[in-house]
Amino acid sequence: MSVELDNELLNVFLIEARELLESLGEQLVDLESTPGDVELLNAVFRAFHTVKGGAGFLGLNPMVELCHRAEDLLNEARNGAIVLDAGFMDALLESLDLLNDMMRAADGGVPIEAAPRSLLDRLLIPGRAATAAPVALAAPVAVAASAPARAHDPIEDEFEAMLDAARSDRAPTPAPSGTISDDEFEALLDSLYGTAAPGSEPVGGVPPAAAAPAPATDPNAISDDEFEALLDSLHGTAAPGTTPIAAPEPVAPAAAVAPTATPVAPAPASSTDDTSPKPKAATEKRGAQTADTTVRVDTHRLDGLVDAAGELVLVRNRLSNLAPRGTNDPMERAIGELERVAEDLQNAVLRMRMQPVGKLFSRFPRIVRDLARQLGKEIELVTEGEDTDIDRTVVEALADPLVHLLRNAVDHGIEMPDARAREGKPRAGTVRLAAGQFGDRIVITVTDDGKGMDPEVLRRKAVEKGLMDEEQAARLDERECYEIVFRPGFSTASQVSDISGRGVGMDVVKTKIVELGGTLSIDSRVGHGSTVRLSVPLTLAILRVLMVRVGDRLLSLPMSNVAEVFELVPGQIQELDGRIVAAHRQRALPLADLGRWAGAAGKGGHVVVVQIGHQTLGCLVDEVLGREDVMAKPLGPFLKDVPGVAGATITGDGRIALVLDLAGLADDGGQVLPSLRMAV
Amino acid sequence: MKILVVDDFSTMRRIVRNLLVELGFTNTLIQEAEDGNAALAMLRSQSFDLVVTDWNMPNMTGIELLRAIRADAALKALPVLMVTAENNRDQIIAAAQSGVNGYVVKPFTAVTLKEKLDKIFERLAAAAG
Repeated sequence: MSVELDNELLNVFLIEARELLESLGEQLVDLESTPGDVELLNAVFRAFHTVKGGAGFLGLNPMVELCHRAEDLLNEARNGAIVLDAGFMDALLESLDLLNDMMRAADGGVPIEAAPRSLLDRLLIPGRAATAAPVALAAPVAVAASAPARAHDPIEDEFEAMLDAARSDRAPTPAPSGTISDDEFEALLDSLYGTAAPGSEPVGGVPPAAAAPAPATDPNAISDDEFEALLDSLHGTAAPGTTPIAAPEPVAPAAAVAPTATPVAPAPASSTDDTSPKPKAATEKRGAQTADTTVRVDTHRLDGLVDAAGELVLVRNRLSNLAPRGTNDPMERAIGELERVAEDLQNAVLRMRMQPVGKLFSRFPRIVRDLARQLGKEIELVTEGEDTDIDRTVVEALADPLVHLLRNAVDHGIEMPDARAREGKPRAGTVRLAAGQFGDRIVITVTDDGKGMDPEVLRRKAVEKGLMDEEQAARLDERECYEIVFRPGFSTASQVSDISGRGVGMDVVKTKIVELGGTLSIDSRVGHGSTVRLSVPLTLAILRVLMVRVGDRLLSLPMSNVAEVFELVPGQIQELDGRIVAAHRQRALPLADLGRWAGAAGKGGHVVVVQIGHQTLGCLVDEVLGREDVMAKPLGPFLKDVPGVAGATITGDGRIALVLDLAGLADDGGQVLPSLRMAV
Repeated sequence: MKILVVDDFSTMRRIVRNLLVELGFTNTLIQEAEDGNAALAMLRSQSFDLVVTDWNMPNMTGIELLRAIRADAALKALPVLMVTAENNRDQIIAAAQSGVNGYVVKPFTAVTLKEKLDKIFERLAAAAG
């Protein structure tokens, strides 16, 4: 082929094709539940079709072949010849997976292997032969298949008969060859326009065919030579738009010399995709169509820009601290200007890193569908708020936790269809995945209408597994019972299934979310289902912190972990079970000595109540300076692995404040590090 | 010379562009549009000498674009080369009737593209003469 396997072209193709295939998974699952959605069917068809076209130019023939089969199958569905049942859907989804594998291979420079025959065969309608994929770059490939296969299909015949009846002005004809050769085309143009060009002033003042469409030509088989001969005889006499170009007599011999036929119904509207208009909705759903107004930027460059903007904000903070105030000095005004510009810049840069969460959500219908099928359950996944924008890094970090939560909902939440029916519920369960922005946080909920969780069962299990004693378990309120599922080593399923893991799931989810500065909570009603609600910051680039002073050190505590702040009154600190606690809100709040941990001696007149791991702790500090938005800069290589330290930031007055990572102050079991504990 | 390449798949636009460059259309301004609507807007605001359009596009397909071009007094003589995925007779006849100047089936080589373009320009020359 003359287009070399140009690496740049391949890369562009892979990126673009990947985008198409990404939404295809979701679209296929949607299609299974709404097989009558013509627009969706067209969109799915188009995705395979477009990938095939690109792959053909790059010589990725196994991809072409696979896409071609999928396309043919979908075309049959579009024609109404078949309904895409779960079996076909499985085959299409597997084809999608395989296409992704093939693209990975192409990306890695590995030769692509042909799709397994077994998969290709499953994309075929039983009893039908395959059409040839246009992999050859030489002469156009005729659509080759055996005509008898079609002739034996009574539905097809009936359909044909109907079509024939609809175009009864045309002579019925034998098996067509749906292709056309160059010569035929040229001759066709001659017949339509004489030797003139389409759209030009017609020769001899005859109106062009475009203005007055010629009567429909016979779409059926004809060999090149015969067609040529026919047009020769018509040439010169045929005025564009006035004479039909097809005469029936050469047709019969043509059928004899051109035995190739397509198994696809030969009706004009049904033979290929290209005659049907593409609905707008389908494109919007696919997105990524705005190639001319968007630029792809390497994420590292983007991160560099975010860093630089952050630095600028820090400098701005220092300048405004140094600036004379209330003097209406030109310097003060200029700094005021700088503040505004720096803020705008930072916001603009942060927006650049935002991605709609729908990009993430689009992977899930497939996961839920496969899982439900594997478990024999009927489940509909409903997604809401897909256009909610989240920082790219947060989107990526949310992927695994959300998969886990969905798997849990499908595996443990939703009951088997029969069990649901007995409860008077619809056989199909619903899992709802919703996202929304609330202030500077994104809240995502995973809700199922399954069996819900029983606090009593959770208490009993917690005791059985030795997570707590009976007395402790009895003291838990309902919400605290649900929290048990986030403990390491806890799994509510009495049988370990392959699907939801081995009791290492939910605590990992919790750890991940907390690492993001997020929180997790569960709500449940027995018999009605459960809701897991997770709240994460909109962006990780800017951290909202509470700035505190301990001795001569400044520490910033992420606001996501801070519950409240109070001032100690004399006598509030007490001893309980060998630990130092503060009596607060009718509870004993264990205290943590942040000063000692940070190597600074403080007197500790204030308490910041924080959530560390599974514990609520009061951190003793000397002074609470207030809330601030900071950019945490990572520490150097020697300090970067100190547990509990996320980085450092420069305050407005040029001092350095450590940014704490409170999650890092707890061990894997969610217990606060001993160095923090205040014992007697 | 100015050519407008219309395809919703940017990879394909790039392929066509590369092939045109390979054919020596170096002194040519090649512009791109992602569907018929965008193409039509560009055709009406600038002047082009040739349109190479995909058939299967969202919003406005290639054949709809072709019909719009032929129906527009200012554009109707503009040569249009249609790119299709299938060498499908019905489609091509329909395109011819709608006034297409040529068609080329994917995937194609620079040589094929050249043949198609030559035929178009021959016919145009004949019409002019």
